[in-house]
Amino acid sequence: MASVSYESQRSRFARQAITPSLLFLVLVAGLPTLFLIITSLTPGALVNPGSLTDFSDPSRNYTLLLSDERFVGSLWVQARLSLYTVTLQVLLGTSMALLVHAGQGRWQSLRHLFVIPMVLPPIVVAVIWKLVYTPDISPIYHVAKAIGIVLPSLTTHLDFALWAIVIADTWEWAPFTFLMVLASLQTLPTEYVEAAHMDGADSLGVFWHIVLPYIAPVLLVCTLFRVIDSIKAFPLIFLLTGGGPGSVTEVTNYYAYLVAFNFGELGYSSAITVVLLSLTVLISWAAMRASRSTQSIE
Amino acid sequence: MKKHIIFWAVPLLLILMLTPFLWLLQMSFKPTPLILEFPPQLFFTPTLGHYVSLWKDGFPESFVNSLITSTASTALALLLGIPAAYALSRWSGPGKFGLGLGILLTRMAPPIAFTIPFFLAYRWVGLLDTRTGLILIYMTFNLPLVIWMMQPFFDAVPASLEEAALMDGAGFPTVFAEIVMPVASAGIAATAILCFLYAWNDFFFALILTRTDARTAPVAVVNFMNYEGWEWGKIAAGGSLVMAPVLAFSLLVRRYLVSGLTAGAVKG
Amino acid sequence: MTQNLTAKPLSRRSLLKKVAGVTAGASLGMPAIAQSKPFAGLKLRGAAYQHGFFNHLRKYIPEFEAATGMTVDLQLSAFPVYNQQADLELSSGGSAWDFCNVTFILAARWISAGLLSNLDDFTGDRKLTPASWNPDDFVKGAQVPYTGKDGKTYGYSWEGGAMLMGISRMDLMKKRGLSVPKTFDDLMKVADGIHGQEDVTGFVSSNLHHWFLPPYIHGFGGDIFASPPSDIRPTLDSASAVQAVDYYSRLLSKYSPQGVLGYTEDQARAALIGGRSNIFIHSSSWVTSMLTAQDSKVKETALVTRMPTGPKGDFPASNSQGLGIPKNAKNKEAAWAFIQWALSPELTARIVKDTGHASICRRSIIESAEYKRLNTINGQDIGKLYLDVLQQPAVGRNYMAYRTVKEFPLMGDVVNKAVERVVSGQMPAAESMRVAQEAALSSLRRSGAKV
Repeated sequence: MASVSYESQRSRFARQAITPSLLFLVLVAGLPTLFLIITSLTPGALVNPGSLTDFSDPSRNYTLLLSDERFVGSLWVQARLSLYTVTLQVLLGTSMALLVHAGQGRWQSLRHLFVIPMVLPPIVVAVIWKLVYTPDISPIYHVAKAIGIVLPSLTTHLDFALWAIVIADTWEWAPFTFLMVLASLQTLPTEYVEAAHMDGADSLGVFWHIVLPYIAPVLLVCTLFRVIDSIKAFPLIFLLTGGGPGSVTEVTNYYAYLVAFNFGELGYSSAITVVLLSLTVLISWAAMRASRSTQSIE
Repeated sequence: MKKHIIFWAVPLLLILMLTPFLWLLQMSFKPTPLILEFPPQLFFTPTLGHYVSLWKDGFPESFVNSLITSTASTALALLLGIPAAYALSRWSGPGKFGLGLGILLTRMAPPIAFTIPFFLAYRWVGLLDTRTGLILIYMTFNLPLVIWMMQPFFDAVPASLEEAALMDGAGFPTVFAEIVMPVASAGIAATAILCFLYAWNDFFFALILTRTDARTAPVAVVNFMNYEGWEWGKIAAGGSLVMAPVLAFSLLVRRYLVSGLTAGAVKG
Repeated sequence: MTQNLTAKPLSRRSLLKKVAGVTAGASLGMPAIAQSKPFAGLKLRGAAYQHGFFNHLRKYIPEFEAATGMTVDLQLSAFPVYNQQADLELSSGGSAWDFCNVTFILAARWISAGLLSNLDDFTGDRKLTPASWNPDDFVKGAQVPYTGKDGKTYGYSWEGGAMLMGISRMDLMKKRGLSVPKTFDDLMKVADGIHGQEDVTGFVSSNLHHWFLPPYIHGFGGDIFASPPSDIRPTLDSASAVQAVDYYSRLLSKYSPQGVLGYTEDQARAALIGGRSNIFIHSSSWVTSMLTAQDSKVKETALVTRMPTGPKGDFPASNSQGLGIPKNAKNKEAAWAFIQWALSPELTARIVKDTGHASICRRSIIESAEYKRLNTINGQDIGKLYLDVLQQPAVGRNYMAYRTVKEFPLMGDVVNKAVERVVSGQMPAAESMRVAQEAALSSLRRSGAKV
C-alpha cells in the first residue's frame, strides 16, 4: 500500500519536473520544425513581401527539388563524404584505441590529449586545415617542392577537394571512435584473450575472433552517430572550399545554407532542409535503437 | 621487441595527430615575415604582436559575448534539464522511447533546420543580433544534451534509496534535492562543461543570427579573413584564442569527458 | 586650489571645442545656417566592409563628431560576411543601421525591392546640402548602379573600380622581347612567353570570376543577358560566352599559380607585388599597389595600363561601391549628414592628399592638378587611365548594365561555378556553359523572373 502512494507521488513529481523542459523544447524545437515545414510550402523569399504566406502552390518547392540537378548532386556528394569520412574515422579511431590499449595502461593518461581535435571549435579546425592546405605557407607544399614534386592545390582540385575535406574531418572526429572503442576494450575480460592465446591463436586471430565481435556493437553505434553528425558538415566546407571547385564539395547542408542566406530563398531552402531532416530522423531512430540495445547488453 | 615498438608508437602517434594543432599555435607567435619563409624556422623569437593587434580589433567584445552566451545557456539548460532527466529516468509509462527519440532528434538535427524559422521569428520580435537570441537557440542542443546525459546517472540511483527517505516522511522535492542530486553530482559537472563547450564552439547559429553586437568569438575569427590582407599570424592567434577556454576546461574535467563526448553511450 | 586649476582648462577646452565646432563645420562644407552640434547626443550606426577607405575615414570621424555632436559607430566586417549580413538585414526591412555600404552586386536587388531611401530628397534640400556639394560631380559611370529605373539616386559612390592591367615584370618582358599586349591574342602570347621564367607565372587572378570574366565575354561579342536590363534571358551558352570562358580558363589553368581557384584578391595582389606573377587585371587600386605599396618588390619594373581589347571591342569592367541609407533607418537626416560629409569635395580632396588613396569618384578631384601630381607614378598617369575606364560605360553603350539586373547575384554564382568547372578540368567550356545556362534559367525562374 505504501509503495503505491510513493509511486503516485513519484509520478506527480516527475510530471512537474519534466513539464518545463517539455514546454521549452516544444517552443524552441517543436514549433520551429513545424514552422519550417510550413515555410517549405511557400515560395518565400525575403525580397518578395507576402511570399512567405503564399500557399497557392504548396508542392512547388518539392517538385522543383526533383528536377534540381544541383540538389541531387549535393545528395551524392553528401553520401560520398559520409561514406569516406565515417569509414576512415572508425578505422583510424579503432586502430588508435587498439594501440593505446595494447600499451597496457601506461599511456592511459595520454588518451585525454588524443581528444583535443574533437573539443576544438570546428571553425578553428577549419582554420588549421586552411593553413595546411594553402600552398603559400604550408610546410607540406614547401617540402614537396624541395624534393621536386609539384603538389597540386588540393582544395581547388577536382579529384582531391573532397578528400581534403575528408582528411580534415577524419582528423577532427577520429577521437570519438577512439574513446568509445577504448572504453569498450577496457571492459573486455582478459580471460577471453588469455584463453585464446593458450589455444594457440595469434594476435590476428585474437583480434578477429574475440576483440572484433566484442566491440562490434559499439562500432555500430559509433558509425551511426558519426553518420548523423557528418550530415551537419559546415565549417570545413565554408572555409576550405566554399562547395567548390564547381560543386564537387557542395553537400546538401551547404547548398541549403547558400539558398537560404546568400540567395534569400527561404521557402526553397526550407524544402531542402525538410528532406535533410527526414534523413536525419531515419538514421537517428536506427542509432537510438542500436544504442539502447548496446546498453542493455551491458 | 614488438612490445617496444607498440609502446613508443603511442606517443609518436599522439605527436603526429597533434601536429596540425601545434602548427597553428606556433604560427600565432611567429613574426609575419617568417611565416612565409621556407624552410620554416622552428626556433624563432616569439612575438605577441598578433595577439595584441587582435585585442585592439574588437576581439575582446566577441569573447565576452561567447562567455555570456555559453554560461547562460548552460545554466538554463541545467536548470530545466536536470529535473527532466530525473523524470524521464523514473518514467514507466508509455512514450518513453518516443520522448527519448524526440529529444535525441533535437540534438541531431542540422542547425539550418532551426536557423530558418528562428531567423524569421527573431526578425519579427527583434531578437536578431542579441545575446538573448543566441542563448535561446542554444537550448536546442544543450537542453537535450543535459537530459540525455543525466538520465543514466539518475537511472543508477536505486528507487529504494528514495523510498527509504520517503518513509521517513520527507517530501519528494527534498528527496530529490538532498538524496538524488548529490549522487549524480559527478554527472552534473561533466554535463555543465559539455554544454559550455558546445555553446562556445557554435559557429552556424552565431553566423546567421548575429551581426556585430552579439558576434561571438568563432565568428570573429572568420571576420579576420580580411578583404585587404590575409593576415596569417593574426588568424592563427585568433584561432588559438578561441580554442583556449574549451581546451582548458576539457583538460580540467577530462575524467568526465569521455562520457559526455560520446553522448553518454560510454561511461567514463 | 585644485578646483581652480582644473576648472580653467576644462572651460577653456570646451570653449575651444565650440569654436572648433563652428569652424570645422564650415570647413567641412556644412551649411552655415546649422548651429554647432545639431545632432547632439545622437548615436549614428553604420556598417560597411573592411576597406582601406574606411580605415582612412575613421581618422577624420572625430572631427565630424565634434562638429555635429553625434557619435558614429561604424562597424566593418569582411567583404563576404558584410554582404550576406547586409542583404539579410535590408531584406528583412531592418532598422539597425542608419547608413550602409551599397555593394555593387546587390545594389540592383536592393533598389528594385525598395530597400533604400531616395537620396534626391536630401541633395535637393538646400537646408541639408549646400549647392557646392554638387551631386553631378560624381563620375556618371560610377553612379549608374545607384540610379533606379525611376531615375532617382539611391547611393553615392565612394570607390571606383576601374579595371586596368598591371604588369609587374617589365624587365622580364624586355628580356624576352615581348611588348605590352594590346589584344586578347597578344595577352595569351605574353602569358605563355613569361610563364615559368625565373619562377614567375604569366598571369594571376582570384576567385571572383563573375567580375573578371564579363570583359572577355563582351570582348568576344557576347553578354550575360540578352539585352539587360530589359531582356534578362541569360545568354551563357552563346558562342562568344563559350569562347570567353575557354580563353579565360586557359589563362588560369595554364599560366596562373597553383591553387589560383582558391585565391582571394589579396593573395593575387601579393603574388603581383611580390613579382611572382606578371599580369593581374583588376580594379585600379589593386594593381596600382605595385607602385605604391610599401612591401612591393616591383616598383621599378611595374607598368599600369589599359587591359587588352577583344575582337569585338574594348569593354573593361567598371564598378563602384556606394553609401546609402536603408529605407527603415531611424536617423535619416543624421545619416545624410554623415554621407554628405564623407563624400564632400573638401574631405575627398583631403583624403587624397593625406593618404594617397586614389579610387574616389568625384570628377573635379580626379581632374585636379593635385590629384594628377600624386597619381603620376614612374611617369604613368594613373589618374587618366582610371577616369577613362570609370566613365566608359556612360560614354558608349552601357555594357555594365548586366550588373544592374536585380537577379545578378544568382547569375554571378552560376558563372563562378562554370569557370571553376572548366579550370579544374571537370568539363570543357562548351559543356560547362550549357550546364550554367540551364542552372541560370532554373534559378531565375525559381526567383520569379519571366524567362
